[in-house]
Amino acid sequence: MRDWLHSVRTLVWKDLLQEWRSKDMLTAMFAFAILTLFIFNYAIELSPVNRAEIASGIIWVVIVFAGTLGLNRSFTAEQDQGCFDALVMAVPDVSAIYFGKMLTNWLVMLFVSVLILPIYSLLYNQSLFNLGFILVLVLGAWCYSAAGTLIAGMTVQTRMRDLLLPILLFPILMPVNMAVVKAAGGILAGAPLVEVQAWLVLLAAYGIIVTTVSILVFEYVIRE
Amino acid sequence: MSSENKKLRFLGLIALFLVLAAFAMVLFYAPIEVNMGIVQKVFYFHVSAAWIGMLAFLVAAVCGALYLNKKQIKYDFIAYSAVEIGLLFTAIANFTGMIWAKPIWNTWWTWDPRLTTMTIMAFTYIGYLLLRRGVDNLEKRARFGAVYAIIAFASVPLTFFSSRLLRTIHPTIFGANSGDMAMTPAMYQTMAVSIVAFTFLFAGLLWHRSILAARESEIDNLRAQTEVAEFGEVQDD
Repeated sequence: MRDWLHSVRTLVWKDLLQEWRSKDMLTAMFAFAILTLFIFNYAIELSPVNRAEIASGIIWVVIVFAGTLGLNRSFTAEQDQGCFDALVMAVPDVSAIYFGKMLTNWLVMLFVSVLILPIYSLLYNQSLFNLGFILVLVLGAWCYSAAGTLIAGMTVQTRMRDLLLPILLFPILMPVNMAVVKAAGGILAGAPLVEVQAWLVLLAAYGIIVTTVSILVFEYVIRE
Repeated sequence: MSSENKKLRFLGLIALFLVLAAFAMVLFYAPIEVNMGIVQKVFYFHVSAAWIGMLAFLVAAVCGALYLNKKQIKYDFIAYSAVEIGLLFTAIANFTGMIWAKPIWNTWWTWDPRLTTMTIMAFTYIGYLLLRRGVDNLEKRARFGAVYAIIAFASVPLTFFSSRLLRTIHPTIFGANSGDMAMTPAMYQTMAVSIVAFTFLFAGLLWHRSILAARESEIDNLRAQTEVAEFGEVQDD
Protein backbone atom coordinates (compact mmCIF):
# COMPACT_ATOMS: atom_id res chain seq x y z
CA MET A 1 0.00 0.00 0.00
CA ARG A 2 2.83 2.39 0.84
CA ASP A 3 4.53 1.50 -2.41
CA TRP A 4 1.30 2.09 -4.23
CA LEU A 5 0.76 5.52 -2.67
CA HIS A 6 4.35 6.39 -3.36
CA SER A 7 4.03 5.54 -7.05
CA VAL A 8 0.78 7.47 -7.38
CA ARG A 9 2.45 10.49 -5.83
CA THR A 10 5.50 10.14 -8.07
CA LEU A 11 3.31 9.84 -11.17
CA VAL A 12 1.27 12.91 -10.30
CA TRP A 13 4.42 14.83 -9.50
CA LYS A 14 6.04 13.76 -12.78
CA ASP A 15 3.04 14.81 -14.86
CA LEU A 16 2.53 18.11 -13.06
CA LEU A 17 6.22 18.95 -13.27
CA GLN A 18 6.31 18.08 -16.96
CA GLU A 19 3.30 20.29 -17.54
CA TRP A 20 4.68 23.08 -15.40
CA ARG A 21 7.93 23.17 -17.36
CA SER A 22 6.26 23.58 -20.74
CA LYS A 23 2.86 25.00 -19.70
CA ASP A 24 1.65 24.12 -23.22
CA MET A 25 -1.51 22.45 -22.12
CA LEU A 26 -2.42 24.84 -19.33
CA THR A 27 -2.02 27.86 -21.57
CA ALA A 28 -4.08 26.25 -24.30
CA MET A 29 -6.81 25.18 -21.89
CA PHE A 30 -6.97 28.59 -20.28
CA ALA A 31 -7.12 30.48 -23.57
CA PHE A 32 -9.69 28.03 -24.90
CA ALA A 33 -11.84 28.46 -21.79
CA ILE A 34 -11.79 32.25 -22.06
CA LEU A 35 -12.62 32.10 -25.75
CA THR A 36 -15.52 29.73 -25.13
CA LEU A 37 -16.78 32.14 -22.52
CA PHE A 38 -16.68 34.96 -25.07
CA ILE A 39 -18.49 32.81 -27.64
CA PHE A 40 -21.21 32.15 -25.10
CA ASN A 41 -21.48 35.82 -24.37
CA TYR A 42 -22.45 36.54 -27.94
CA ALA A 43 -24.27 33.31 -28.71
CA ILE A 44 -26.58 33.64 -25.71
CA GLU A 45 -27.56 37.13 -24.72
CA LEU A 46 -26.43 37.11 -21.11
CA SER A 47 -28.82 39.68 -19.77
CA PRO A 48 -28.58 40.33 -16.03
CA VAL A 49 -32.01 38.71 -15.58
CA ASN A 50 -31.27 35.21 -16.85
CA ARG A 51 -27.54 35.33 -16.14
CA ALA A 52 -27.85 33.83 -12.67
CA GLU A 53 -29.81 30.85 -13.94
CA ILE A 54 -27.54 29.85 -16.78
CA ALA A 55 -24.18 30.70 -15.19
CA SER A 56 -23.78 27.16 -13.87
CA GLY A 57 -24.39 25.66 -17.30
CA ILE A 58 -21.96 28.00 -19.03
CA ILE A 59 -19.21 27.54 -16.45
CA TRP A 60 -19.55 23.76 -16.63
CA VAL A 61 -19.51 23.63 -20.43
CA VAL A 62 -16.42 25.86 -20.49
CA ILE A 63 -14.65 23.61 -17.98
CA VAL A 64 -15.69 20.42 -19.78
CA PHE A 65 -14.50 21.66 -23.18
CA ALA A 66 -11.22 22.87 -21.77
CA GLY A 67 -10.92 19.61 -19.81
CA THR A 68 -11.24 17.60 -23.01
CA LEU A 69 -8.13 19.35 -24.35
CA GLY A 70 -6.28 18.29 -21.23
CA LEU A 71 -7.55 14.71 -21.32
CA ASN A 72 -6.45 14.36 -24.93
CA ARG A 73 -2.91 15.11 -23.84
CA SER A 74 -2.86 13.06 -20.67
CA PHE A 75 -1.41 9.93 -22.27
CA THR A 76 0.26 11.33 -25.38
CA ALA A 77 3.73 11.54 -23.87
CA GLU A 78 3.67 7.86 -22.86
CA GLN A 79 2.15 6.80 -26.18
CA ASP A 80 4.51 8.80 -28.40
CA GLN A 81 7.64 7.88 -26.49
CA GLY A 82 6.49 4.28 -26.16
CA CYS A 83 6.89 4.15 -22.40
CA PHE A 84 3.58 2.52 -21.47
CA ASP A 85 5.44 -0.74 -20.86
CA ALA A 86 8.03 0.98 -18.71
CA LEU A 87 5.28 2.61 -16.67
CA VAL A 88 3.54 -0.72 -16.15
CA MET A 89 6.77 -2.27 -14.94
CA ALA A 90 7.57 0.63 -12.64
CA VAL A 91 4.44 0.50 -10.49
CA PRO A 92 3.39 -2.18 -7.98
CA ASP A 93 -0.09 -2.29 -9.50
CA VAL A 94 -1.54 -0.91 -12.73
CA SER A 95 -4.28 0.84 -10.80
CA ALA A 96 -1.60 3.27 -9.56
CA ILE A 97 -1.21 4.54 -13.13
CA TYR A 98 -4.94 5.09 -13.40
CA PHE A 99 -5.05 6.88 -10.07
CA GLY A 100 -2.06 9.04 -10.87
CA LYS A 101 -3.44 10.09 -14.23
CA MET A 102 -6.90 10.66 -12.80
CA LEU A 103 -5.57 12.84 -9.99
CA THR A 104 -3.48 14.85 -12.45
CA ASN A 105 -6.45 15.41 -14.74
CA TRP A 106 -8.59 16.34 -11.77
CA LEU A 107 -6.02 18.83 -10.48
CA VAL A 108 -5.56 20.37 -13.92
CA MET A 109 -9.31 20.81 -14.30
CA LEU A 110 -9.57 22.37 -10.86
CA PHE A 111 -6.68 24.66 -11.70
CA VAL A 112 -8.47 25.86 -14.83
CA SER A 113 -11.64 26.38 -12.76
CA VAL A 114 -9.68 28.43 -10.26
CA LEU A 115 -8.60 30.69 -13.11
CA ILE A 116 -11.99 30.83 -14.81
CA LEU A 117 -14.24 31.49 -11.82
CA PRO A 118 -12.77 34.89 -10.84
CA ILE A 119 -12.71 35.96 -14.48
CA TYR A 120 -16.35 35.06 -14.90
CA SER A 121 -17.21 36.83 -11.65
CA LEU A 122 -15.33 39.88 -12.86
CA LEU A 123 -16.81 39.96 -16.36
CA TYR A 124 -20.39 39.45 -15.27
CA ASN A 125 -20.31 41.08 -11.88
CA GLN A 126 -21.71 37.97 -10.27
CA SER A 127 -19.81 36.39 -7.42
CA LEU A 128 -19.37 32.64 -7.81
CA PHE A 129 -17.50 32.21 -4.56
CA ASN A 130 -19.97 29.97 -2.90
CA LEU A 131 -18.78 26.88 -1.02
CA GLY A 132 -21.65 24.74 -2.27
CA PHE A 133 -20.97 25.76 -5.87
CA ILE A 134 -17.30 24.93 -5.52
CA LEU A 135 -18.14 21.58 -3.91
CA VAL A 136 -20.31 20.71 -6.93
CA LEU A 137 -17.53 21.67 -9.34
CA VAL A 138 -14.98 19.60 -7.41
CA LEU A 139 -17.29 16.56 -7.45
CA GLY A 140 -18.14 17.08 -11.11
CA ALA A 141 -14.49 17.41 -12.09
CA TRP A 142 -13.74 14.18 -10.23
CA CYS A 143 -16.47 12.30 -12.14
CA TYR A 144 -15.21 13.85 -15.35
CA SER A 145 -11.61 12.80 -14.85
CA ALA A 146 -12.60 9.36 -13.52
CA ALA A 147 -14.41 8.50 -16.77
CA GLY A 148 -12.13 10.63 -18.94
CA THR A 149 -8.88 9.02 -17.84
CA LEU A 150 -10.15 5.54 -18.72
CA ILE A 151 -11.50 6.60 -22.11
CA ALA A 152 -8.44 8.73 -22.95
CA GLY A 153 -6.22 5.74 -22.15
CA MET A 154 -7.98 3.90 -24.96
CA THR A 155 -8.48 6.65 -27.51
CA VAL A 156 -4.82 7.66 -27.42
CA GLN A 157 -4.01 4.19 -28.73
CA THR A 158 -6.47 4.40 -31.64
CA ARG A 159 -6.08 5.85 -35.10
CA MET A 160 -8.52 8.73 -34.54
CA ARG A 161 -7.20 9.83 -31.14
CA ASP A 162 -8.42 13.37 -30.31
CA LEU A 163 -11.35 12.97 -32.63
CA LEU A 164 -12.69 9.99 -30.77
CA LEU A 165 -12.38 11.10 -27.14
CA PRO A 166 -15.37 13.49 -26.96
CA ILE A 167 -17.56 11.13 -28.99
CA LEU A 168 -16.97 8.35 -26.48
CA LEU A 169 -16.82 10.48 -23.38
CA PHE A 170 -19.75 12.87 -23.70
CA PRO A 171 -22.57 10.31 -23.78
CA ILE A 172 -21.09 8.52 -20.77
CA LEU A 173 -20.80 11.83 -18.94
CA MET A 174 -24.40 12.85 -19.54
CA PRO A 175 -25.56 12.15 -15.95
CA VAL A 176 -22.66 14.21 -14.60
CA ASN A 177 -23.57 17.13 -16.84
CA MET A 178 -27.18 17.05 -15.73
CA ALA A 179 -26.29 16.74 -12.05
CA VAL A 180 -23.63 19.46 -12.03
CA VAL A 181 -25.72 21.99 -13.93
CA LYS A 182 -28.85 21.35 -11.86
CA ALA A 183 -27.06 21.29 -8.50
CA ALA A 184 -24.85 24.29 -9.22
CA GLY A 185 -27.76 26.21 -10.71
CA GLY A 186 -29.87 25.53 -7.65
CA ILE A 187 -27.11 26.63 -5.31
CA LEU A 188 -26.44 29.83 -7.26
CA ALA A 189 -30.18 30.59 -7.18
CA GLY A 190 -29.94 30.46 -3.40
CA ALA A 191 -31.27 26.99 -2.64
CA PRO A 192 -29.80 25.32 0.47
CA LEU A 193 -27.62 22.23 -0.03
CA VAL A 194 -30.40 19.96 1.22
CA GLU A 195 -32.52 20.82 -1.80
CA VAL A 196 -29.91 19.69 -4.30
CA GLN A 197 -28.84 16.74 -2.15
CA ALA A 198 -30.17 14.18 -4.64
CA TRP A 199 -27.88 15.57 -7.35
CA LEU A 200 -24.87 15.54 -5.04
CA VAL A 201 -25.58 11.91 -4.12
CA LEU A 202 -25.87 11.11 -7.82
CA LEU A 203 -22.49 12.73 -8.50
CA ALA A 204 -20.85 10.86 -5.64
CA ALA A 205 -22.42 7.58 -6.80
CA TYR A 206 -21.26 8.18 -10.37
CA GLY A 207 -17.74 8.96 -9.21
CA ILE A 208 -17.54 5.88 -7.03
CA ILE A 209 -19.02 3.52 -9.63
CA VAL A 210 -16.91 4.79 -12.51
CA THR A 211 -13.70 4.89 -10.47
CA THR A 212 -14.28 1.33 -9.25
CA VAL A 213 -15.08 -0.05 -12.70
CA SER A 214 -12.09 1.81 -14.15
CA ILE A 215 -9.71 0.35 -11.56
CA LEU A 216 -11.01 -3.12 -12.43
CA VAL A 217 -10.63 -2.76 -16.19
CA PHE A 218 -7.74 -0.30 -16.57
CA GLU A 219 -5.27 -3.16 -16.63
CA TYR A 220 -6.75 -4.27 -19.96
CA VAL A 221 -6.45 -0.79 -21.41
CA ILE A 222 -2.78 -0.39 -20.76
CA ARG A 223 -1.25 -3.83 -20.72
CA GLU A 224 -0.34 -5.35 -24.05
CA MET B 1 -21.33 -28.08 -37.88
CA SER B 2 -24.44 -29.38 -39.59
CA SER B 3 -26.23 -30.03 -36.28
CA GLU B 4 -25.45 -26.44 -35.30
CA ASN B 5 -26.83 -25.28 -38.64
CA LYS B 6 -29.99 -27.23 -37.96
CA LYS B 7 -30.38 -25.69 -34.54
CA LEU B 8 -29.90 -22.25 -35.98
CA ARG B 9 -32.48 -22.89 -38.69
CA PHE B 10 -34.90 -24.22 -36.10
CA LEU B 11 -34.39 -21.11 -33.97
CA GLY B 12 -35.03 -18.95 -37.02
CA LEU B 13 -38.27 -20.78 -37.76
CA ILE B 14 -39.47 -20.37 -34.16
CA ALA B 15 -38.66 -16.67 -34.30
CA LEU B 16 -40.48 -16.28 -37.61
CA PHE B 17 -43.53 -18.09 -36.30
CA LEU B 18 -43.62 -16.10 -33.06
CA VAL B 19 -43.17 -12.76 -34.79
CA LEU B 20 -46.00 -13.57 -37.19
CA ALA B 21 -48.17 -14.71 -34.27
CA ALA B 22 -47.40 -11.52 -32.36
CA PHE B 23 -48.18 -9.46 -35.43
CA ALA B 24 -51.53 -11.22 -35.87
CA MET B 25 -52.34 -10.76 -32.19
CA VAL B 26 -51.55 -7.06 -32.38
CA LEU B 27 -53.79 -6.68 -35.41
CA PHE B 28 -56.73 -8.92 -34.55
CA TYR B 29 -56.62 -9.96 -30.90
CA ALA B 30 -55.62 -6.91 -28.89
CA PRO B 31 -58.51 -4.49 -28.38
CA ILE B 32 -58.34 -0.90 -29.54
CA GLU B 33 -57.46 1.39 -26.65
CA VAL B 34 -60.32 3.69 -25.71
CA ASN B 35 -58.50 6.98 -25.39
CA MET B 36 -55.62 6.66 -27.83
CA GLY B 37 -57.28 4.66 -30.58
CA ILE B 38 -55.49 2.56 -33.17
CA VAL B 39 -52.08 4.22 -32.75
CA GLN B 40 -51.70 2.59 -29.34
CA LYS B 41 -51.06 -0.70 -31.16
CA VAL B 42 -47.55 0.42 -32.03
CA PHE B 43 -46.83 0.04 -28.33
CA TYR B 44 -46.45 -3.76 -28.42
CA PHE B 45 -43.52 -3.70 -30.82
CA HIS B 46 -42.20 -0.47 -29.30
CA VAL B 47 -41.81 -2.02 -25.85
CA SER B 48 -40.41 -5.24 -27.30
CA ALA B 49 -37.82 -3.36 -29.36
CA ALA B 50 -36.80 -1.23 -26.37
CA TRP B 51 -36.44 -4.40 -24.30
CA ILE B 52 -34.18 -5.97 -26.95
CA GLY B 53 -32.09 -2.79 -27.00
CA MET B 54 -31.44 -3.07 -23.28
CA LEU B 55 -30.93 -6.84 -23.44
CA ALA B 56 -28.44 -6.53 -26.30
CA PHE B 57 -26.30 -4.00 -24.45
CA LEU B 58 -26.41 -6.15 -21.33
CA VAL B 59 -25.25 -9.12 -23.44
CA ALA B 60 -22.43 -6.95 -24.82
CA ALA B 61 -21.29 -5.96 -21.32
CA VAL B 62 -21.46 -9.54 -20.02
CA CYS B 63 -19.59 -10.87 -23.06
CA GLY B 64 -17.06 -8.06 -22.62
CA ALA B 65 -16.40 -9.18 -19.06
CA LEU B 66 -16.19 -12.81 -20.20
CA TYR B 67 -13.72 -11.85 -22.92
CA LEU B 68 -11.46 -9.98 -20.50
CA ASN B 69 -11.62 -12.94 -18.17
CA LYS B 70 -11.27 -15.84 -20.59
CA LYS B 71 -9.60 -14.22 -23.62
CA GLN B 72 -11.72 -16.24 -26.03
CA ILE B 73 -12.38 -14.28 -29.19
CA LYS B 74 -15.88 -15.74 -29.61
CA TYR B 75 -17.11 -13.53 -26.77
CA ASP B 76 -15.90 -10.51 -28.67
CA PHE B 77 -17.81 -11.62 -31.77
CA ILE B 78 -20.98 -11.97 -29.70
CA ALA B 79 -20.50 -8.62 -27.95
CA TYR B 80 -19.89 -6.79 -31.22
CA SER B 81 -22.90 -8.44 -32.87
CA ALA B 82 -25.08 -7.66 -29.86
CA VAL B 83 -24.18 -3.96 -30.00
CA GLU B 84 -24.99 -3.76 -33.69
CA ILE B 85 -28.36 -5.46 -33.26
CA GLY B 86 -29.07 -3.48 -30.10
CA LEU B 87 -28.55 -0.23 -31.99
CA LEU B 88 -30.99 -1.34 -34.66
CA PHE B 89 -33.66 -2.17 -32.09
CA THR B 90 -33.03 1.02 -30.15
CA ALA B 91 -33.65 2.92 -33.37
CA ILE B 92 -36.87 0.93 -33.96
CA ALA B 93 -38.02 1.72 -30.42
CA ASN B 94 -37.27 5.42 -30.89
CA PHE B 95 -39.03 5.66 -34.25
CA THR B 96 -42.12 3.69 -33.21
CA GLY B 97 -42.22 5.86 -30.10
CA MET B 98 -42.22 8.96 -32.28
CA ILE B 99 -45.08 7.62 -34.39
CA TRP B 100 -47.05 7.17 -31.19
CA ALA B 101 -46.00 10.44 -29.59
CA LYS B 102 -47.07 12.68 -32.47
CA PRO B 103 -50.85 12.11 -32.06
CA ILE B 104 -50.76 11.48 -28.29
CA TRP B 105 -48.31 14.10 -27.00
CA ASN B 106 -48.76 16.28 -30.07
CA THR B 107 -45.01 16.34 -30.66
CA TRP B 108 -42.47 14.00 -32.23
CA TRP B 109 -40.04 14.52 -29.44
CA THR B 110 -39.96 15.60 -25.82
CA TRP B 111 -37.11 15.63 -23.34
CA ASP B 112 -38.60 12.81 -21.38
CA PRO B 113 -36.17 10.61 -19.36
CA ARG B 114 -36.87 7.44 -21.28
CA LEU B 115 -36.50 9.11 -24.65
CA THR B 116 -33.32 10.91 -23.72
CA THR B 117 -31.84 7.86 -22.00
CA MET B 118 -32.55 5.70 -25.05
CA THR B 119 -30.98 8.24 -27.37
CA ILE B 120 -27.93 8.90 -25.22
CA MET B 121 -27.53 5.13 -24.95
CA ALA B 122 -27.65 4.85 -28.73
CA PHE B 123 -24.90 7.47 -29.02
CA THR B 124 -22.83 5.65 -26.42
CA TYR B 125 -22.90 2.51 -28.54
CA ILE B 126 -22.31 4.36 -31.80
CA GLY B 127 -19.14 5.40 -29.97
CA TYR B 128 -18.44 1.70 -29.37
CA LEU B 129 -18.52 1.01 -33.10
CA LEU B 130 -16.29 4.03 -33.81
CA LEU B 131 -13.80 2.97 -31.16
CA ARG B 132 -13.50 -0.46 -32.75
CA ARG B 133 -13.02 1.04 -36.17
CA GLY B 134 -10.12 3.07 -34.83
CA VAL B 135 -8.12 0.04 -33.68
CA ASP B 136 -6.41 -2.17 -36.25
CA ASN B 137 -4.99 -4.83 -33.98
CA LEU B 138 -7.66 -7.53 -33.53
CA GLU B 139 -6.77 -8.44 -29.96
CA LYS B 140 -6.59 -4.80 -28.88
CA ARG B 141 -9.87 -4.05 -30.63
CA ALA B 142 -11.58 -6.84 -28.69
CA ARG B 143 -10.02 -5.66 -25.43
CA PHE B 144 -11.02 -2.02 -25.87
CA GLY B 145 -14.48 -3.02 -27.03
CA ALA B 146 -14.94 -5.08 -23.89
CA VAL B 147 -13.75 -2.30 -21.57
CA TYR B 148 -15.98 0.26 -23.26
CA ALA B 149 -19.03 -2.03 -23.31
CA ILE B 150 -18.69 -2.46 -19.54
CA ILE B 151 -18.26 1.21 -18.67
CA ALA B 152 -21.01 2.20 -21.10
CA PHE B 153 -23.47 -0.21 -19.57
CA ALA B 154 -22.60 1.05 -16.08
CA SER B 155 -23.46 4.59 -17.16
CA VAL B 156 -26.89 3.75 -18.62
CA PRO B 157 -28.82 3.39 -15.32
CA LEU B 158 -27.18 6.59 -14.03
CA THR B 159 -28.31 8.46 -17.12
CA PHE B 160 -31.79 7.13 -16.54
CA PHE B 161 -31.90 8.12 -12.86
CA SER B 162 -30.57 11.58 -13.55
CA SER B 163 -33.05 12.32 -16.30
CA ARG B 164 -35.78 10.83 -14.14
CA LEU B 165 -34.88 13.27 -11.39
CA LEU B 166 -35.86 16.05 -13.77
CA ARG B 167 -39.37 14.83 -14.56
CA THR B 168 -41.32 12.47 -16.75
CA ILE B 169 -44.47 12.39 -18.84
CA HIS B 170 -43.86 8.96 -20.34
CA PRO B 171 -46.65 6.51 -19.46
CA THR B 172 -45.49 4.10 -16.78
CA ILE B 173 -46.83 0.66 -17.56
CA PHE B 174 -44.99 -1.42 -15.03
CA GLY B 175 -44.98 -0.62 -11.35
CA ALA B 176 -47.22 2.38 -11.88
CA ASN B 177 -48.89 3.89 -8.85
CA SER B 178 -51.53 5.71 -10.81
CA GLY B 179 -52.66 3.90 -13.94
CA ASP B 180 -51.42 6.03 -16.81
CA MET B 181 -52.58 3.37 -19.19
CA ALA B 182 -54.89 0.62 -18.03
CA MET B 183 -54.25 -2.67 -19.80
CA THR B 184 -56.75 -5.46 -20.32
CA PRO B 185 -55.70 -9.13 -20.15
CA ALA B 186 -55.77 -9.38 -23.95
CA MET B 187 -53.32 -6.48 -24.11
CA TYR B 188 -51.01 -8.11 -21.59
CA GLN B 189 -51.08 -11.38 -23.51
CA THR B 190 -50.30 -9.65 -26.79
CA MET B 191 -47.43 -7.79 -25.20
CA ALA B 192 -46.02 -10.94 -23.59
CA VAL B 193 -46.10 -12.76 -26.93
CA SER B 194 -44.45 -9.78 -28.67
CA ILE B 195 -41.66 -9.64 -26.12
CA VAL B 196 -41.04 -13.38 -26.33
CA ALA B 197 -41.14 -13.21 -30.14
CA PHE B 198 -38.62 -10.37 -30.24
CA THR B 199 -36.37 -12.18 -27.80
CA PHE B 200 -36.27 -15.23 -30.06
CA LEU B 201 -35.71 -12.99 -33.05
CA PHE B 202 -32.82 -11.36 -31.21
CA ALA B 203 -31.28 -14.73 -30.32
CA GLY B 204 -31.49 -15.84 -33.96
CA LEU B 205 -30.04 -12.58 -35.30
CA LEU B 206 -27.28 -12.62 -32.70
CA TRP B 207 -26.28 -16.14 -33.62
CA HIS B 208 -26.21 -15.35 -37.35
CA ARG B 209 -24.30 -12.13 -36.82
CA SER B 210 -21.73 -13.79 -34.56
CA ILE B 211 -21.04 -16.42 -37.21
CA LEU B 212 -20.65 -13.63 -39.73
CA ALA B 213 -18.26 -11.79 -37.38
CA ALA B 214 -16.17 -14.96 -37.06
CA ARG B 215 -16.03 -15.28 -40.85
CA GLU B 216 -15.05 -11.64 -41.24
CA SER B 217 -12.22 -12.11 -38.83
CA GLU B 218 -11.07 -15.22 -40.72
CA ILE B 219 -10.96 -13.18 -43.92
CA ASP B 220 -9.01 -10.44 -42.16
CA ASN B 221 -6.52 -13.01 -40.94
CA LEU B 222 -6.13 -14.53 -44.38
CA ARG B 223 -5.67 -11.11 -45.91
CA ALA B 224 -3.03 -10.22 -43.32
CA GLN B 225 -1.20 -13.47 -44.06
CA THR B 226 -1.14 -12.87 -47.80
CA GLU B 227 0.16 -9.37 -47.18
CA VAL B 228 2.91 -10.75 -45.00
CA ALA B 229 3.71 -13.31 -47.68
CA GLU B 230 3.90 -10.58 -50.32
CA PHE B 231 5.50 -7.69 -48.49
CA GLY B 232 7.13 -9.28 -45.50
CA GLU B 233 6.30 -8.66 -41.84
CA VAL B 234 4.84 -5.23 -41.14
CA GLN B 235 5.08 -3.33 -37.90
CA ASP B 236 1.79 -3.54 -36.04
CA ASP B 237 0.74 -0.12 -34.78
